Amino acid sequence: MQASSQEQYIEFGIEQEQYAIRIQDIHEIIKIQEITAIPNVTDYVKGVINLRGRIVPVISLRCLFGSEEAEYTKSSRIVVIHHLEEAVGIIVDRVNKVTTFTDIQPPPERVGGVQGSFFTGIGLAESGLVGILRLDEVLLHE
Amino acid sequence: MLSEYREVFLEELEEQLQLMDEEILKLEREEDSSRIVQALFRAAHTLKGSSAAMGFDIMKQLTHEMEQLLDLVRSGKRTVTGVLIDRLFQALDHLKLLKLDIVDGGGGAGIDISACVRQLQSFANGTEDAEAAETVELPEIEEITGYAETGAAKAKPVLALNYRLKASECLDQGRQVNWISVRISSSCPIKGARAFVIQSSLAELGEVLYTQPDLEDLEEQAEGATEILYLHAGDLGQEELKAFTLALMDVEAVLVEAVSFEEIELVQPSTVQTAAKTAGPDEGSVQTSGKAKSQTIRVSVERLEHLMNLVGELVIDQTRIHQVERTQRRRFSDDSVEELGHISDHLSRIIGDLQESVMKTRMLPIEQLFNRFPRMVRDLSRDLGKEIELVIEGKDTELDRTLIEEIADPLIHLIRNAVDHGIEDPGVRTANGKPAKGTLTIRAAHEDNQVVIYVEDDGAGIHAEKIRASAIAKGVISPEEASYLSEMESVDLIFSPGFSTAAVVSEVSGRGVGMDIVKSHIEKLNGLIEIHTTVGKGTTFKIKLPLTLAIIEGLLVKLAAQTFIIPMSNISEIVRVTREDIVTVRGQSVILLRNQVIPVAWIHEYFQLPKSSAAKQNISLVIVGSAEKRLALVVDELIGNQEIVIKSLGSYIGKVTGIAGGTILGDGSVALIMEIAGIIAKMGGKTVS
Repeated sequence: MQASSQEQYIEFGIEQEQYAIRIQDIHEIIKIQEITAIPNVTDYVKGVINLRGRIVPVISLRCLFGSEEAEYTKSSRIVVIHHLEEAVGIIVDRVNKVTTFTDIQPPPERVGGVQGSFFTGIGLAESGLVGILRLDEVLLHE
Repeated sequence: MLSEYREVFLEELEEQLQLMDEEILKLEREEDSSRIVQALFRAAHTLKGSSAAMGFDIMKQLTHEMEQLLDLVRSGKRTVTGVLIDRLFQALDHLKLLKLDIVDGGGGAGIDISACVRQLQSFANGTEDAEAAETVELPEIEEITGYAETGAAKAKPVLALNYRLKASECLDQGRQVNWISVRISSSCPIKGARAFVIQSSLAELGEVLYTQPDLEDLEEQAEGATEILYLHAGDLGQEELKAFTLALMDVEAVLVEAVSFEEIELVQPSTVQTAAKTAGPDEGSVQTSGKAKSQTIRVSVERLEHLMNLVGELVIDQTRIHQVERTQRRRFSDDSVEELGHISDHLSRIIGDLQESVMKTRMLPIEQLFNRFPRMVRDLSRDLGKEIELVIEGKDTELDRTLIEEIADPLIHLIRNAVDHGIEDPGVRTANGKPAKGTLTIRAAHEDNQVVIYVEDDGAGIHAEKIRASAIAKGVISPEEASYLSEMESVDLIFSPGFSTAAVVSEVSGRGVGMDIVKSHIEKLNGLIEIHTTVGKGTTFKIKLPLTLAIIEGLLVKLAAQTFIIPMSNISEIVRVTREDIVTVRGQSVILLRNQVIPVAWIHEYFQLPKSSAAKQNISLVIVGSAEKRLALVVDELIGNQEIVIKSLGSYIGKVTGIAGGTILGDGSVALIMEIAGIIAKMGGKTVS
């Protein structure tokens, strides 16, 4: 875990909590745009968007983490990540900054009401604790 | 390099096998048999040459036997009989097996052709001619020892100027230039190929400057022992060269002589001799013009697919430009908007042409599939003791290559069924006042941007009553359900899983899975299938398929506020009805359309959208179909039709029942494409009467 201390992360927030994803996993961050809903899929899959001619699915982290859905605001963003050669968008309430962590702790069983397996670790930052997402688990969650 | 030749070889093989198939069938009908035998002989000969050159010895052996046999027939020593035709078909089947083995990367070693070869030989050896030929060969082999002396006398050809230049150049470089005279054994079946092999072996030791005769000509005249003269430049001494060459396969004798200075003098020997030599370059020009005839290049499918994707992107952008142009026109009216309109129109024409051209590169005539059927029908009708005339129409109808592959199995099923269940035994037919010979017609055609394939027989037709009874007996439907079914719907029961109409399961068809598979295949291709049958007169299956799979014509409709696309190939018609036209029968909303009862589906529910049409007086219905099922979809608004590019929703979302994929519309938003087969399965699985 020490080796990762120099790694850069994008820190973003949902409700009062802060989360992070390694910067090299992120393709780009875009504003909320028109989402075409897909019927009969898992509820946290919100639909698909047109990302410059590509059809990209978007998921709601709020929904996945069991929080109430909220209206998208001016600060809402879609974090587009690369996962298994495919782009997937994650809707978040706000994107804070690029950051590094001086220390990363293994995740506890539960992180603020969210199961611990969604995280690779908990990063310690000046602003507080940040949950570092384990993308495999977040995206493949059944 | 070798794999490249392999591709060419396989292509040629396929072509020749197909040709043999057709010719043997023709031979059976005895139309101008001498011409056909000649064609078959040529095909066998060609394959013998190419398989030997590729080192597929087993195939070479088999084609050699075929060639021998056909030669006897050609020269009138054997006559065309049913046995001969069977032998030829048998050999052809073995060749096909060998081909499959070669395609899989084998050399054909796993295929046992000995029995087949024996039968060919025993047929060929029916008289003493063949034995006589064998005994004649023996003395020739004894001659070998005397060869070296006699061979020395063989006159060397006069070399053309360019060969002289090359030879003297090699001598200047300190290399040895020798004439190598090689006699290829008369037992070698393909001397032409052997001569090439020897040439390439010699080339490993240096350079082969010239051969006499030209190896290109050799194949045709390969009778008895053949002598070939190579002009070789290399570093090896004469003795070593001789030993090396003698060790090669099928080489009976070798004579190595140093080239003399007179032979490679740079002075023109005499005008007469050069005139004789000009034949060489002439031949070359003939060959190139022969090649020019077929101006094709081979392109990998991936490249075409990539090209198709790019065109797809262009189509999307074009619709967007068009949209922008329309909004601009509404707002402003000046010259630049006018110009934008012209450009947009022009662009759409060009993109349309481009799309069509790219699509055409993926299109193949259905011929290559249809050509498999004559043999199949022949074998089937023979096995079943039926007389069937196969009529094939519209062979040159073109469709996407993937579609051709996908439609092969369903068509084969339908044809087997028609031969097995459709067309009656000759006795039954004559008793019913029909000609003893049944007719099976397979026809392909383009109809409104779709491909339609008919499989039509003049057989017994399908008895709706029998189907119903059989379906009840097999538990496919309950007696109560059956009583509601119309004739047409009863006939459609043959598409149900686990259904077979044949009382006795025959070897040909009737395993009870056939029609079910036909249906699912056609559904997968977004196609439709219809049955028209008249008892005692015959049955027609009509299959409708889209021209291509990547870009489709779609109908844009609105459900609530969301735009959906229905593939045009699934739409049978669009109607506008009033609320009262939709009635409820046993809990199911249905509509009566030209005496056909079609279930009505509010897909809003299924797509979890508000059911806004419920309050309206006039309702638009899109009658869709998949394979044999029909369903009327209620839509809130019809927008229009448009070419669309199907894009997958990606593996993250995976397969969603009822959604075939998405596409990007002119305004940049994503619209979902309905998967009609899935929707029908969910909403209107049952046909209701």
